[in-house]
Amino acid sequence: MDKKLPITCPSCQSELNVQSLACESCDTTINGSYDLPLLLKLTQEEQEFILDFVRFSGSLKKMAKKLNLSYPTVRNMLDDLIDTIETRQQSDADETD
Amino acid sequence: MTQLKHASNPMLTKLINPFRFIAGFRALAAGVLVILVTAVLAYFSNTHFPDILSVKISGDLPFWFLVSQGAGNWFIVSVVLYLTAVIASPSSVRLVDIFGTQALARFPYLPAAGIGFFGSVEKFGQYVLWENLGMGDGPVAMAGWEMGFAILLMMLTILLSIWLVALMYNAFKISANLKGAKSGGLFILGFIVSIVLTRLFSNYLLAGLV
Ligand SMILES: [Zn+2]
Repeated sequence: MDKKLPITCPSCQSELNVQSLACESCDTTINGSYDLPLLLKLTQEEQEFILDFVRFSGSLKKMAKKLNLSYPTVRNMLDDLIDTIETRQQSDADETD
Repeated sequence: MTQLKHASNPMLTKLINPFRFIAGFRALAAGVLVILVTAVLAYFSNTHFPDILSVKISGDLPFWFLVSQGAGNWFIVSVVLYLTAVIASPSSVRLVDIFGTQALARFPYLPAAGIGFFGSVEKFGQYVLWENLGMGDGPVAMAGWEMGFAILLMMLTILLSIWLVALMYNAFKISANLKGAKSGGLFILGFIVSIVLTRLFSNYLLAGLV
């Protein structure tokens, strides 16, 4: 089964934290409160886009060709993603202040 | 990010927004061909396009006139929308995307140029003018089915016009990376300015004929 990592709370929509990590080979559990890394806070599609972008050595032209999309479509996706990341970083910074 | 995978209706997406898949030089090459073939059809069907939106039945017009008119309609709206995009867009806009997608967006007027071949619309216009206003050379005999056919063709032309505007809008949105109210407002503004400018250009061309 393909399980999806939940990133927002189903009951209040706030962002979730990591509270425990488990080692499967020796059954050790670590408890604490860790922020999810920014990359994991992005949607599945956004994460795939970033992986594709790296795979195609950051060439939007190659990426557009491989995905059968037009160049401006892929460029718009990248620009939107930059926007999302910047807003996220901003809101994370505001939280820790 | 909703753009990557939305399979709501891929066929409809391709019809209304082919620019998700084609832009740049490929769209430009296809679009220029569309504009040329449209001019050839318009030449034989006595149709012309005095601005970016209008379809008119005309007398015999020279081929160079129809090519210039078609090219002018495309060129003027592309320049206007490019300037709008450069001023308003947060992304770096490519000239070839605006010109290419706007050229391809003119596709619906290729079949629209073919409608002139039937002559029914023109005849219906003469019929209405004579019957209602007494204008024209005399009564026009028109059978019921012929009137129905003329009305059908006129409705088809309106549908093609709506399709054209939808394509032009989506072409602008994608090429300029603009969304929502901003893209809508700017497009309407650019569209109206382009109608005025292309109208002036066609009048200038027409003046050169006499
Ligand atoms: Zn362990």
